[in-house]
Amino acid sequence: MCPFFKQYKSVLLYCCLGVLISACNMEKDFEIELPTLNPQLVAECYLEPGQPYRLTLTESTAYLASPEPEIINDALVIITYKGQPDTLRLAPYYDKVSRKIYTHVSETRMTGKPGDMYTLQITDKKGRQLTGTTTVQNVVPIDTVEALYNQENNAYLLVKFKDSEATANYYYFSVHKDSLNTRDEVAYSTDDALNNGELFALGTGYDFQKNDTAVVSLYHLEKPYFDFMNSIENARNANGNPFAQPAGVQSTVQGGLGVFTALTYDRKILILK
Amino acid sequence: MFSHYSLRLFFLLSFFFLIIQPVITQAQNQVTISGTVRAAEDGENLIGVAVAIPALNTGTTTNPYGFYSISVPEGSYTLQYSYVGYTTQKQIVTVNKNITLNVRLEAASEELGEVVIQAGNLQEKLKTTQMSVEQLTMAQAKLMPALFGEVDILKTMQLKPGVQSGGEGSAGLYVRGGGPDQNLFLLDEATVYNASHLFGFFSIFNSDAVRSIDLYKGGFPAQFGGRLSSVVDVKLKEGNNQHFGASGGIGLIASRLTLEGPIKKNKSSFVVSGRRTYVDVFTGLANRINADKPDYDPIPGYYFYDLNAKANYDLGPNDRVYLSGYLGNDQIGFQNSGFNFNFAWGNKAGALRWNHIFNPKLFANTSFTASGYRYNISNALQDFSFNLSSQIKDLSFKTDFDYLPGNGHAFKMGAIATQHNFEVGRLKAGTDDNTVSFNSGTSYKGLEYGFYAADEYAPAPRFSLNYGLRVSGFYNGQDNFSGIEPRLSFRYSLSESLSLKASYTRMLQYIHLVANSGASLPTDIWYPSNNVVQPQRSQQVAVGLSKLFGNGKFLLSDEVYYKQMRNQIDFRDGAQLFANEDLNAEFLFGQGRSYGNEIYIEKKEGRTTGWIGYTLSWSYRQFAEINEGHWYPNRYDRRHDISIVALHQLNPRIHLTGTWVYGTGNAFSVPAARIIVQGQLGDNSSFVPVYTERNGYRQAAYHRMDVGLVYKLRPKRGAADLTFSVYNAYNRRNPYFVYFEQLENEDESQTIGFRARQVSLFPVIPAITYNFNF
Repeated sequence: MCPFFKQYKSVLLYCCLGVLISACNMEKDFEIELPTLNPQLVAECYLEPGQPYRLTLTESTAYLASPEPEIINDALVIITYKGQPDTLRLAPYYDKVSRKIYTHVSETRMTGKPGDMYTLQITDKKGRQLTGTTTVQNVVPIDTVEALYNQENNAYLLVKFKDSEATANYYYFSVHKDSLNTRDEVAYSTDDALNNGELFALGTGYDFQKNDTAVVSLYHLEKPYFDFMNSIENARNANGNPFAQPAGVQSTVQGGLGVFTALTYDRKILILK
Repeated sequence: MFSHYSLRLFFLLSFFFLIIQPVITQAQNQVTISGTVRAAEDGENLIGVAVAIPALNTGTTTNPYGFYSISVPEGSYTLQYSYVGYTTQKQIVTVNKNITLNVRLEAASEELGEVVIQAGNLQEKLKTTQMSVEQLTMAQAKLMPALFGEVDILKTMQLKPGVQSGGEGSAGLYVRGGGPDQNLFLLDEATVYNASHLFGFFSIFNSDAVRSIDLYKGGFPAQFGGRLSSVVDVKLKEGNNQHFGASGGIGLIASRLTLEGPIKKNKSSFVVSGRRTYVDVFTGLANRINADKPDYDPIPGYYFYDLNAKANYDLGPNDRVYLSGYLGNDQIGFQNSGFNFNFAWGNKAGALRWNHIFNPKLFANTSFTASGYRYNISNALQDFSFNLSSQIKDLSFKTDFDYLPGNGHAFKMGAIATQHNFEVGRLKAGTDDNTVSFNSGTSYKGLEYGFYAADEYAPAPRFSLNYGLRVSGFYNGQDNFSGIEPRLSFRYSLSESLSLKASYTRMLQYIHLVANSGASLPTDIWYPSNNVVQPQRSQQVAVGLSKLFGNGKFLLSDEVYYKQMRNQIDFRDGAQLFANEDLNAEFLFGQGRSYGNEIYIEKKEGRTTGWIGYTLSWSYRQFAEINEGHWYPNRYDRRHDISIVALHQLNPRIHLTGTWVYGTGNAFSVPAARIIVQGQLGDNSSFVPVYTERNGYRQAAYHRMDVGLVYKLRPKRGAADLTFSVYNAYNRRNPYFVYFEQLENEDESQTIGFRARQVSLFPVIPAITYNFNF
């Protein structure tokens, strides 16, 4: 339930500031000279069961630089599984289903089983080298998905699953309405510190109605990816929040920034009655 | 339980004091003149009154309970009692045995056209060995312009050198580079944990109930311990024991009322003070009017209130009992269809004290105090409820003795024991049908204790020395932590009007404020020391020169200090402070260092009073895991800090007041680079800042002028005035924080650039308050 609290803590603070700031128009632009960092390789790659390898490779830029992305065309990208290296080729494209851009692809499909390891290695002509490893997690199945209605015929979903006591587990929970290629209704990550070994329940807001189709996904994450997700959130929140201390991005890769992880999830589709 | 070494050392020192005393006592017959000094019109104890015997070139001052004791050879003398704001009184006595001489001082008439401040005079400040202390009088604080017209004594304290605010409007105190958790707030000797309302915008101290406030920045007397950087000793009024009175005010955002009077004339009195804001009345009204608009987001209702109550009783010529209590609360709440949110936090404090005069040379004060701070966040959706709370509760017993044997020594000794109960991050949540419910949180206990002994002694005519030792410790049920805290200070008079002072203090802090931000948020958690989180320690050295000039009207002082702090606490990136059973793993430990020079000139008497202060300081921290282990400036490292405060009585009915402050901008972190992260299915891609250096950038300088005017009305009964204040008179947009805005194209489908924006908090804010007193 920590995400609830985190959300409201910000609401609280923003409420007070928002009222004051919006009432008085107290903002202005100003010139600032920011420190610089040598451009780092940034890799974002999620291996999905049954899907071909797809990776997005970019560079870090100065913070106030223009947002035009630069394609890195001299990089060598290799994913190794069970000793077999597979070179991804440069083929930037926009995928309409996932609504994401990928720069390097391979036809090889991900077939890893829980416990298998994948490694990533990227080198470019400038001498930069990025490496990463990931271990496939086991699927944590969703037990039940219930829709609970209120007086105004709006429903919230209550999703239950069983956490395993043996290890520390990390989850990412998301719910889409109607199909996966839209913005999610709710998405948050959580760990099992409070519910270790017990029945876990996660909920949404009153965003659903009768006949809606809800696609519920429960991802079982490895710790480095969970830390990366949270650090991204914290770094983004530090901008604009006078009460926050800025956090560093905790990448799962070395020699650069970003994430390389194998995704494991269980997905259930419910048509609300 | 406590280290044998410390205990032995303590007993050795006490023995030393007791043995040496008779040896030094002079042969001839000494008699003691003792008593209490109180104000004639209301019976309030007067603290720090100068009691002088000019013929013997000796003197003393009254203690915090108005008690004084002076030993002289048999004979006839004139005693002179003087105190700013009161008419100096002379008493001629012939003594051949101990006598009790209680004195009532008359307040100086306001018709003289002087500002009645009521304080220790500058001459005493020059002579005392106590350095690094700031005193604030309510008369001055009430005349000064205030934010929203709410007089706030902590914000007024921030105008003194060496004391900084955390930011615009914040009542948090950063004293000589120390953090806001390193201040000990005492309200009539009871500890207060969160001394502010509304995230630090207002302090909890109601100016109508407060008599005086002393802030120690260094040179801490041995009776204080438990925090590294400052002691804010707030003493409440006792209440008028002559006749009933009421006073209060109606302001822009809050109103106050104080009732006081005798329970038994001349023997006992009470005082009750309350204050409440009423913004919630208006927001509630606005919400009701707009309730049927479909897109209307109700404005959260917010209010705070404080209540102080006190009574005292003279049991006899040698005994007086006081009982005081404080209750305060802040509440934010809002309701939506099916959604109910409530956040409440507040302090409670109570003290029962007994003054006993054993004999003319020995005065004792014994107190039982209880205090607590709690916050509670509750949230209810249709079938699901969630409650997060944290609290700390203290129960203390302390006793302090003043022993004045009359041979030039003035001993103080005492002991304190506090039982702390912490409840950290209690989280209860669940559905109504109980299919899901969980309850977690941790409780800790600890016993904090201290013993001290100190002596003030003048070994030579121009030289005065205050030396003491405090032994303190903390037992958390498993481990015991203890240490010694030597306290030394001396004053050497270079001439009648020039003093050189120096001090050394060592402080230990056993309970820590876990706060993942720069603001004093109510969700900050108090946490005890344990085998991972060791007690914080500091050592401070200060040297100063004070000069009295202009016929005793101006005091110029310059003080240089160096402070070193160890076992400072910060958090690892992404620290999880709530619902975490192993908080120890979230902490990082390091050290801090601050040093600087404070120059200060003040005037307390006459038609124009006030002060000018300039502080030049550095404050740095070093943690192995932050900023790659390099020293980095603390967020509140403020190189230059200037305050100018002036109060002028234009005519018997009008006072003009003004303050001007200037400070170097706060240090903060800016991103060195930016990356794009697309995230999972359903997530939008986002730009993420990459931070490297900590606090490497400075905001623009902060400066602001406030002006005020107090206009005395002529009501049929009592006194009343209208106080006008203008906060930020020249409307400067001072930076509150900086952020980076993503600029989007017209249909918000693409980001086209970034720019830096600066947010300011308060523009020019005029306010008017009506105050009455009868």
